[in-house]
Amino acid sequence: MSGDSGSLLNQSSSTDQSKNGVSRHVTQSSMMIGSKSSNAKKLTIKNFKAKPVLPENYERETWRKLEEAVSAIHRSSFIRYSLEELYKAVENLCSHKIAKNLYSQLRDVCEQHIRKQVHVFDENIDGELFLRRLEQEWQDHCQQTIMIRCIFLVLDRTYVLQNSMLPSLWDLGLDLFRENVLSRDHVRERCLLGLLELVVRERSGDAVNRSLLRNLLSMLNDLQIYHSLFEKHFLKETEQFYLTEGDVKKNQLEVYEYLIHTEKRIEEERNLCITCMDNSTLKPLIACVESQLIARHTDFLLNKGLSYLINENRMSDLQRFYSLLSSIQDGTQSLCTCFTDHVKGVASGIVMDSNADATMVQDLLDLKEKLDNIVNTCFDKDAKFIHGLQRAFESSVNKRQNKPAELIAKYVDQRMRSGNKESSEAELDRTLDRIMLLFRFIHGKDVFEAFYKKDLAKRLLVGKSASVDAEKSMLSKLKQECGGAFTSKLEGMFKDMFHSKELMSQYRQYQSTKADMQDISVDINVNILTMGYWPTYTAMEVRLPVEMGKLQECFRQFYLMKHSGRKLTFQSTLGHCVLKSKFKNGNKELQVSLFQTLILLLFNEGDVFSYKYIRDETLCKDVELKRTLQSLACGKARVLTKIPKGKDVGDDDKFEFNSDFKHKLIRIKINQIQMKETVEENIDTTERVFQDRQYQIDAAIVRTMKMRKSLSHQLLASEVYDQLKFPIKPTDIKKRIESLIERDYMQRDKDNTNQYHYVA
Amino acid sequence: MSATVSEKGDAPAGKQPDQLFTLKRWNAVAVWSWDVECDTCAICRVQVMDACLRCQADNKQEGCVVVWGECNHSFHNCCMSLWVEQNNRCPLCQKEWVIQGTGK
Repeated sequence: MSGDSGSLLNQSSSTDQSKNGVSRHVTQSSMMIGSKSSNAKKLTIKNFKAKPVLPENYERETWRKLEEAVSAIHRSSFIRYSLEELYKAVENLCSHKIAKNLYSQLRDVCEQHIRKQVHVFDENIDGELFLRRLEQEWQDHCQQTIMIRCIFLVLDRTYVLQNSMLPSLWDLGLDLFRENVLSRDHVRERCLLGLLELVVRERSGDAVNRSLLRNLLSMLNDLQIYHSLFEKHFLKETEQFYLTEGDVKKNQLEVYEYLIHTEKRIEEERNLCITCMDNSTLKPLIACVESQLIARHTDFLLNKGLSYLINENRMSDLQRFYSLLSSIQDGTQSLCTCFTDHVKGVASGIVMDSNADATMVQDLLDLKEKLDNIVNTCFDKDAKFIHGLQRAFESSVNKRQNKPAELIAKYVDQRMRSGNKESSEAELDRTLDRIMLLFRFIHGKDVFEAFYKKDLAKRLLVGKSASVDAEKSMLSKLKQECGGAFTSKLEGMFKDMFHSKELMSQYRQYQSTKADMQDISVDINVNILTMGYWPTYTAMEVRLPVEMGKLQECFRQFYLMKHSGRKLTFQSTLGHCVLKSKFKNGNKELQVSLFQTLILLLFNEGDVFSYKYIRDETLCKDVELKRTLQSLACGKARVLTKIPKGKDVGDDDKFEFNSDFKHKLIRIKINQIQMKETVEENIDTTERVFQDRQYQIDAAIVRTMKMRKSLSHQLLASEVYDQLKFPIKPTDIKKRIESLIERDYMQRDKDNTNQYHYVA
Repeated sequence: MSATVSEKGDAPAGKQPDQLFTLKRWNAVAVWSWDVECDTCAICRVQVMDACLRCQADNKQEGCVVVWGECNHSFHNCCMSLWVEQNNRCPLCQKEWVIQGTGK
């Protein structure tokens, strides 16, 4: 465009000359536009006949002026010519196609200047002083280059743009600076060392001239040698620095202090990098610090400090641990492994300590709650921690056979029994939910069921259950967890209770129609239990007084009339009664067991009876009788007096009615002396569980075969394992399969002994 | 039967108003089971009080009752009804199977 615009300029200054190539008709035709003349002439534009020429010495003179100005800029002194003039001069030179010369001359001048200037670095100065000088030189260079470019702007915008190989004036300046200053080894080296030293001082806590660091690093960036000259070395230095620091600090500091220190370091480095360095350095820098301070020492730190932090419930430290480890590869995995190992250790300790059985369940619940809390707040609800925690609990709880299941059942019983008023319904439900978490881990769920059932029976029969709602809620939790088959018998117990109530109201009507029962004033209530639903009770024969015997037989008749094919067995050990009694000091109402009742009723006939007489009359077994007499004569409420006095009941003792009996209450409950649950009883329960398991395995096999019709041994076994709520050995499964084949529930394939078919 | 009635005819409670102890209320507990000679069903070898294996597998414990033959032998009703399809004799005594009654 430069050439054309020049010619147009000339043309306008000399319109009248015919030479200029524009015909005179221009004016005429433009005047005639309105008159619609038929023979209007065309407007034509022709080139100059001769090219316009510059004065001969124009180029030399102009360059002289420009050169003078450039060197004035380099000297930072006054420029004699106006900038406008210089700009025009450059423009003119460019439009006369001598830009190429101009560019190379300018380049030479600048290069000469820089070469001269380099000598300021020859002086033997180091460190920050040197850096300051370099910064000064760089800033001068930049200012000068900007100034020069302003003057030579036309050159930059035309000639340089058209020649893509040539660097722009700014880039030229950078190239010159790089090639002449920073290509020199002694400059490079001192620059790098100085910068690294600044960083080291910054790390050791000195207040460092950050703007110097920032300026020089951005210089390196502009010169495009930031990565090759600085970053590479810087990262290496950093690595070395934190390698040493990590080794020293990890022994010097407690783990939680070390973690705080590391977090601080990472923050400092991030800060330094953001203010002074190129953004691209941030990622490798932080990774470098993390790998040196954390990754290298992960196992050491975990082994040294994790257990302590968990035991002491140091939430914020644990959270810091997790967040630091989450940024390194496999970091949280290591944390998780160490965490689960710790949990296993603690939980197994609780489970295996047979001296602390009384507190085992509470301890496990507390531990679980604490660890859940840690996983939720410190470990970001990380799924692998949740699973790890579960696995750890599961393996710990099952380290000891049966006992944990039994103790969990007992624990539930304590919560569900009335008199446990410390908790509200909602709290109780929450506790039950927590218990279900533990229960879920138990492999032998049927052991739990057996013990739970025993306690539930007691609660239902003695009317000691704290709340029907809580019982139902627990039952539905168990059902949800283990399925209907697991709870069907427990549900049956509740149904029995319900049916008994209904039946009793029918019976009362029945009894009132019986003529021979009219004189009986005793209010009888019978709970009828379905055998198999309830725990098995040992039957104990006793002799009842006539009236009671009559009552019992009357009820039996009524029941068998309603239900054919059944037989009814009264459980003397579970019966209990209310007795009205007359003492000198007032009437009392005694709540007593059936055995206590039988003994006390004897005293209607006389005041003193020998032990043997009582035994012959009641037909009680010795153990039971002694226990019962003890409760009446040696307990808190002594309605009988033992002769001679003493704590234990002997075969030759006598018992006398204590007419002086005093008690502040009217209604008195005389507790049976509780036999501690005997070892045999406990073993009995456990053994019954193992017997029941056989039926359950059988049922599971039949169920599976009926559905699948034909299965290989492996598939059958694995389906059965999935269905059962307790651990079984492969040999047990084999035995049960053999037994079922024998009983024609299934058969072996004729050709493949490993394949079974269902027999309908 | 777990209780025998006293033969001596002790004075019945409640007749003499001035006696020391009077029975007011009696909470008894009784367990019912099928009145059978043998606890185990000879066909499925599960106790008759429990549901038979097929009913257990199908979770139909409720309706699994006992059947008695005139020979006085008893089995799960479901087990027996499958059995008589093949052989109308009691598996234990080989007498012809005639139902005496079923439990309810």
